[in-house]
Amino acid sequence: MSTSSVSKGCFVFKPSTKKKKHLGLEDHFTGGCEGAQNSGKRYKLCQDLWDQIKTDTESLQDELNRSILDSLLDFTRKCSSTRQHGDWASQMRASEIPTAALVLGVNVPDHDMTFQSLSELLQQLVTPHVASLQAKECGGMKGLRRVLERLMGTTVTVDDDEEEEPEQTSTETHKSMHCSLGILCDWYKSKTRKSSTGTPGKKRSSPVKDELQQPPVVVIFKDLEAFNHRVLQDFILICSRYIERLPLMFIFGIATSPSTIQNMLPHSVSSLLCIELFQSLSCTQHLATVIDKLVLTSHFPFKLNGKVMQVLISIFLYHDFSVRNFIKGVQLALLEHFHSQPLSVLCCKKKEALANVMELSQRDLERIRQLPSFRRYTEKQDAQEKVNLMTDDTHLKVEFLFYDLRKYHKNYYPVLRCLHTLTSSLPRYPLGKQIRELHLICLEKTVWETEEYQSAMKLLRMLAKDELIASIQRCCGTLKPVKSKKMMNALIQMEEILTKIKQLDENAPPVDNSITSPVKSLSQKKTDLFQLQKTLLEMNETRRTKKLSPFETVRNEALELIDGLVKSHLSPPEAQTLYEVCYYTSSATVRRHLNATPRTSIQAALSNPYHYLQTEDGSVSNAAPDICIAYKLHLECGRLINLYDWLEAYATVASAAEGNDPDSDTFGKVDEVKHARFIQAVSELEFLGFIKSTKQKTDHVARLTWGGC
Amino acid sequence: ARTPGKTVSFSKTPNTEPSTPTRTGRSRNNNQINLYHKKVQFVSTTPHRLRKRMTAPSLRSDSDSELSPSDSEAEEEDEESTEQEHKVKKEDKENVKAPRTPSKNLSAALYKTPAKKSKSSEPVHQPSMVEEYFEAHGSSKVLTSDRTLERLHTPKLDRETLIRLLEGKPSCYSKEIQQLHKKYCKHFNKWMLQLKLGFSVLVYGLGSKKALLEEFRVSHLSQEIHLVVNGFFPSITLKSILNALTCEVFDHQGSFRTPADQIQFISKTLKDSPDLNVYLIIHNIDGPMLRGEKTQCALGQLASLPNLHLVASIDHINAPLVWDQFKQSQFNWLWWECVTFQHYAEETSYENSLLVQQTGALALSSLTHVLRSLTPNARGIFKLLVKFQLENKDNPSYTGLSFQDFYQRCREAFLVNSDLTLRTQLTEFRDHKLIRTRKGADGVEYLIVPVEANTLVDFLENEEGD
Repeated sequence: MSTSSVSKGCFVFKPSTKKKKHLGLEDHFTGGCEGAQNSGKRYKLCQDLWDQIKTDTESLQDELNRSILDSLLDFTRKCSSTRQHGDWASQMRASEIPTAALVLGVNVPDHDMTFQSLSELLQQLVTPHVASLQAKECGGMKGLRRVLERLMGTTVTVDDDEEEEPEQTSTETHKSMHCSLGILCDWYKSKTRKSSTGTPGKKRSSPVKDELQQPPVVVIFKDLEAFNHRVLQDFILICSRYIERLPLMFIFGIATSPSTIQNMLPHSVSSLLCIELFQSLSCTQHLATVIDKLVLTSHFPFKLNGKVMQVLISIFLYHDFSVRNFIKGVQLALLEHFHSQPLSVLCCKKKEALANVMELSQRDLERIRQLPSFRRYTEKQDAQEKVNLMTDDTHLKVEFLFYDLRKYHKNYYPVLRCLHTLTSSLPRYPLGKQIRELHLICLEKTVWETEEYQSAMKLLRMLAKDELIASIQRCCGTLKPVKSKKMMNALIQMEEILTKIKQLDENAPPVDNSITSPVKSLSQKKTDLFQLQKTLLEMNETRRTKKLSPFETVRNEALELIDGLVKSHLSPPEAQTLYEVCYYTSSATVRRHLNATPRTSIQAALSNPYHYLQTEDGSVSNAAPDICIAYKLHLECGRLINLYDWLEAYATVASAAEGNDPDSDTFGKVDEVKHARFIQAVSELEFLGFIKSTKQKTDHVARLTWGGC
Repeated sequence: ARTPGKTVSFSKTPNTEPSTPTRTGRSRNNNQINLYHKKVQFVSTTPHRLRKRMTAPSLRSDSDSELSPSDSEAEEEDEESTEQEHKVKKEDKENVKAPRTPSKNLSAALYKTPAKKSKSSEPVHQPSMVEEYFEAHGSSKVLTSDRTLERLHTPKLDRETLIRLLEGKPSCYSKEIQQLHKKYCKHFNKWMLQLKLGFSVLVYGLGSKKALLEEFRVSHLSQEIHLVVNGFFPSITLKSILNALTCEVFDHQGSFRTPADQIQFISKTLKDSPDLNVYLIIHNIDGPMLRGEKTQCALGQLASLPNLHLVASIDHINAPLVWDQFKQSQFNWLWWECVTFQHYAEETSYENSLLVQQTGALALSSLTHVLRSLTPNARGIFKLLVKFQLENKDNPSYTGLSFQDFYQRCREAFLVNSDLTLRTQLTEFRDHKLIRTRKGADGVEYLIVPVEANTLVDFLENEEGD
């Protein structure tokens, strides 16, 4: 059955159920990847890592949301319990609808998960009557009746025959005509009456849920800014009339800032609400936690190199602030890496990797030999070694190189964190405020040669004692859990320095009077300019040749230690051998898949068809495709284009391109075929959106794009 | 009238990168695209500019010095351009391995060429893109020639002739197009993998991608339940897509009140059977009927279901505007660039193309069909209106038949006996969209039939023939 038709646009194909040779994921993975021999193993590894990313980020999300969800739950419980008190304040509060304004941030794609977990938690712990609303479903008041249906529908399984409602509350049929708040109140009353007349034994067994005689009815507005103002105001006004009979509670999901509530609701309406503000974790903090968990750890074997990280972080910062999309980018990079790099079979946990090393095939060993980092390694060896490495398979020492790589990773991250704790509070943040910025710097170049590092060191040399102690203590804390010999040595040294500084406190600091006298002398007598200059120069001299105080010596010692650690452990990954196994480097692919520019592509193809239409031997024919000729000609025109002139110009260019004799009569004349080709080209340009027909002048078209964009 | 210039320069290096908001050199790109920097005052004179190309070759070489010209015929003997061509060829070899879309690296390469700045001594003020735009749009007067297509023998070709003429001419790039096609077919396995892992595949690039997606469908989806939607079809609606899903894929015979209910049903069915995988291929998801907010929202909801896998293509240059961040994350697009250079034969074959003579076949058949269902009186009334309109077809100030006049004529032909019956009849016509009423300057209603004169002639002939 073909899929072109003049009468319909939708075609369904259902295969016969007999032959069911479904290709699994693994077959598709093997289908196009390089080095298909170990593709099965790679596919499995890829799958494991993918699942690991998913579970890790989900648990991270839960943890991060926990604090805000807990506070929301407390709020919900509190407002339902205060209702029962009799004093004036709570009575006043009882006439207002308690509202939680949850400021979530502009990364709207991430909010879904938050709301999902929120409504689940609420349903489990506080109240079964929860309804979530999205703006696009609630175009009018009728749409808001949906909330009533949903509320009554959620507890349909609990409904018994003693339900007295006139209409059906099954999920299948919702007769929204009969739904109103009055009916909702009656339904609620019957529900709470029913649950309160339940057996006392049952009540005691689940104290958390049923301790509230009147569980609140929670309505969550997922995207508040998108709601129609009038509809929302009317709804709030109506609900506030029923507040005594129905303990409603609202949760507003706000993407921008709390002032939107003032913008959307006039004072008369917002005074009916008792609003409390909850701020969720900012998305940059969320990203920092995700990066901490996925990237800056030696437990996760797959790594991204500097450029790819840069692409993903710039998409985050400049496009959407969405952590979900960042994770999607990491998953994509993971897939691409395992698909295109046959040696990625070694990118896994230690035991598996060692087993896989044993099973490397001849071709894989060849591939290892051809890796640029391996070549660099062989250059450094002496001649005999070189020959051995190149020829002898067993001599390749892949395991040792692999061990080296692992050690590098084990040492890199703690030292990175130490450096970050030291430099993150410096003025003007020479090495970045967030650890990801420092990580990017270290990934791309040798950090100790950069200017920023020098200025950071200079600033650190001026650190005060208490700050120095605090930073070193934090570094010790970072280094403690690391199980690496070098790190343990470094830890011991740092602790020694700490004790030294603390000892300095006990010894009386020798009073240094030498510097005070010139100062005193300066302030006491009158000097002229020349004398002042001389005195200041003398002071400078003395300061330079002055003996360093003990604290300063210890400080220098500490900084020397840090410097040493940085120089030995924070080299960029490209300097390590076999780094291609774990690092994914093709940032262009990631960018092309995630952040594409289709318009640039179309215009590039139109202006430069040869870029795509190159044959293998590099030759190009003279004539460009018709649509490109028409496009170039239309660029020279103004706002309106005369079709006849365009056609003539096109005919001339096409004749010239075909190599017709310029002096012949038929050169440039519009014959049928050219006319047809022109019509095709112009229709295609119209389809693409470059021109449109206009009634301003007969046989003219209007140009829709301008300049180069 | 002087004839327009002979050639259009297509540079072989991938240089003229249209300025996207990249951080590198936006203004530099503009200068290079503008071929006529001598012309500061922008006047939209189509033939003048085209004619100038013929008479000022030196001008062109000067301006093209920034573009490293690679004209096939014209200036091979020109030293300047040959030198540049050598440079160009070198860059070409480097760039063969470059990524497909000209990236920032290539735009860095072309910054080398401005060393050969134009020999013109006076500093030329290149109008920037923004200035050009405002100059061109500032005046509502547009200076173009007054020639019309009537000068041609056949001002408008009809569709059959068009197809016949085009079939005869083979494209000179058929080999390269085949190669491109083969290149993209290698990615099909990856597409399947990515689809099954929860991404949606979006294919973009110049050229019709229908053949490519068809090949994908035939080679990889023949064993799966799949649905093909032609987004460029002029009367495709969301409802038809959803109906195809519910009726034909899930065999559900009931009807739904709103599309939201239908989508709810589809999500529930798919959630209940996690082994059932449905593939949806949408050609031109940016088609004119699918661009609306509601449709895209619904499609996004469908795409976010784990068992429904979506492959789509876009062509319009402003297509990505259709999705906001939320929809983009629902769709979870992975963008694939597939420039095929194939003609948009099917997409432009519907009755809305510019230069193709609209045969009016559709309008004629709809007219006949509707009228056949009406009473003979109604048919007579309508024919009266049509005849009067045809009598006045050459009258440019014909605004329609006034109601009183029409009533008079109908009474004379014994087709109606009162004002009310005529009005009822006209309401019926209006509902069928057969007539249109307009209030004239004097407050009187005028009636016209919004169909081409030729179609009306055909219609009357048919009616008389019966």
